[in-house]
Amino acid sequence: MEVKKIKFDKHTVKKLLTLLMPIIAFGVLIAVFCIVVGAKGYKLDRYIEIIFNQGLVLAIVATGATFIYTLGSFDISLGASTLFSAAVGVMVYNSTHSLVVMILVIIIVAVGCSLLSSTLASVFKLPVFVTTVAMMSVLSAISATIITKNGGALGGISIPSSVVKPLDNMGFKIAMLVIFMALCVFVFEFTKVGRRQKFLGANPFCAKLTGISLNKYAIIAFVMAGLGVGLGAFLTLVYTPSVTPTTAGSLGMQILVAIVFGGMPISGGPRSKIYAAVVGGFSYILLDNILKILIQGNAGYGISQIISAVFFLALVYVASLNYRSKNLPR
Amino acid sequence: MKKHLAKIAAVALTGAVVVGTTLGLTACSGGNGLPNIGDDETAKIGVLVSDVNGDEAKAFRAYYENYLEKQYNVDFTYTEALENAAGERAAIETFAAQGYHAIISLSASDRAMQIETCEANNLYYAVASGMLDDAQYEKYKGYECFVGQIGPDMTTEYEAGKAMGEYYKTTKNVSKVAIYGAFIPNPMHVYRAAGILAGLGLTYGGQSAMDAVVGQIFGDQGLTVSKISGPVTVSAYVQGFNPDVTFGEIGGAVATQPDAFLSVGMATTFFSSVFAGANVQYADIDSFTEGNVAQMSQEGGKLTYLAGKYASSIGPVFAAVYNAVHGNVIKDNGNAISIGQNYGVATTAEAAAKYQTADSGNNPIINKSLLDTVIGKDVTFDTFKAFVETDRTPA
Repeated sequence: MEVKKIKFDKHTVKKLLTLLMPIIAFGVLIAVFCIVVGAKGYKLDRYIEIIFNQGLVLAIVATGATFIYTLGSFDISLGASTLFSAAVGVMVYNSTHSLVVMILVIIIVAVGCSLLSSTLASVFKLPVFVTTVAMMSVLSAISATIITKNGGALGGISIPSSVVKPLDNMGFKIAMLVIFMALCVFVFEFTKVGRRQKFLGANPFCAKLTGISLNKYAIIAFVMAGLGVGLGAFLTLVYTPSVTPTTAGSLGMQILVAIVFGGMPISGGPRSKIYAAVVGGFSYILLDNILKILIQGNAGYGISQIISAVFFLALVYVASLNYRSKNLPR
Repeated sequence: MKKHLAKIAAVALTGAVVVGTTLGLTACSGGNGLPNIGDDETAKIGVLVSDVNGDEAKAFRAYYENYLEKQYNVDFTYTEALENAAGERAAIETFAAQGYHAIISLSASDRAMQIETCEANNLYYAVASGMLDDAQYEKYKGYECFVGQIGPDMTTEYEAGKAMGEYYKTTKNVSKVAIYGAFIPNPMHVYRAAGILAGLGLTYGGQSAMDAVVGQIFGDQGLTVSKISGPVTVSAYVQGFNPDVTFGEIGGAVATQPDAFLSVGMATTFFSSVFAGANVQYADIDSFTEGNVAQMSQEGGKLTYLAGKYASSIGPVFAAVYNAVHGNVIKDNGNAISIGQNYGVATTAEAAAKYQTADSGNNPIINKSLLDTVIGKDVTFDTFKAFVETDRTPA
């Protein structure tokens, strides 16, 4: 059997660096985090649980969103969709007292919102990000109305904590993450969907000329994103069984950061990676917590934001090293 | 196939790192009961805050960090501005991971969740601003971690608004007012607004009972001027704050030439210069901070009525928590304490200045010598309640 020798030329090194950097960075962040927490004398087991809880919803919603980003599109409304789905879910539970019905409604609403963005873009021939900006405003406003109308003196709406308490454990949450990741990996890597979406993201005109329908794959992308949003909304309620107008408020931007931290180009295309959001999401949360531990207080908050931004730019720079190659992406 | 294997390996590696690290390191989670520290050990208290920039929030923080930390063996750590319930839970869990003993809450996204999280993480918990509603209090009053709640309750908020309305109706003889609803449907602002209407002798939707009016305001998400009737005309109503919009709305309200602008909160922070420019007197419910007192005392200031808290009014809740972490959990018949605190009222610059002067620097109204009377192993609920309810209007 002939063994193919790997040639470590400049291009290969750059490619390897680009591919492995996010995972290496993730590993380094875990190590640094453990050292910092240990040095401060804090409880590492509790902290890991906090990190997981903080990153779970982000990782799931961002993984679903990866399908949209692969197409070169951009959805800023995912945080608002999560809020809206959770708010409707709470209302439904309080009417039916059925957890199953609540979960189904949350998923349906989330997928519906996602598809509405896609349909509006298709009908009005607008860039998807334009319709998602509009959807963000509309969904936030409707959610705020639902919450404040029904929240009364509590200022928010909620389901009894006993309903979701049995699910508020690491085993269930990890299972949800694994199942959703498995579904996304299957669709993205083992069906033609992922390959064609990458093609559409890289060059929509060529893809169209080869008979690939942008609308069809956009719909699939938004359905997958909707599933992520629905599951994220449900897990948001598992974590805190109440919804206020600020729930999931920063999720939209965090998704963007997570995907870039995970080493995926924001322009989508062939370098899109389905695991980028999980790696990036947890890396972002780890970095945030490391900085919060190291630099406490109000001034620290500002400094940690700046350091996060520098880290973000450095990652984008490293990720872009390979883009400047004259070779076509492989 | 090789390509697929590589992808599977990458995903599996990622999954293994996340799941393995999480499962492995959380396997030894577990609580050790609520803290009970010795006198020589520093009490570590986490403070949950949703507002970090307001005058009141800054005054509270200065009292804890600049005064109490120097007087007692205590370390306060403030959160950044918490936006929602998830942020509150993460903050509590972080404090638990860092070995804190107690939480004092000035953030109200989900108080029920805060108590449950503290119970699960063996942290004492107390509310220093705003109160749980009756049903929530009944549900959680028996929780071991729940030390209690001390502050203006919703009835107090209503009465504060009512006293303001009565003052302008009877003492100032106003016939036309405008109202600023601040952040309605924030519950305390709703109750204050309902109180103002009652104080002015007005009905809302034909009703005057507190619960009925409050319910309507929640339903309307604000005040609908056409639903107000009675002897005093409400010429305009504004709520919320968006710099691009609200200044214009306030300008329009001022143009209706009200005799006074009655605000349920935040008026000085946002609109003092507008009222000064238009020469319209206004009322506010806030705190006796430098900014508010200046609007009553300085030339051109138009604040003529201020109901407010003073910074050291959050001293008693500290005392209750400090006792708890040192082993004396003060209970009301086995339940968490719930004690209402009234607002102070000033209608003159001198009265407002007395509050500010008395509460500033190294000798606040509730100072160490006062707090020492309710800090200790033998302090009972009755002693503590009497202490909180004592009128501390500066002489």
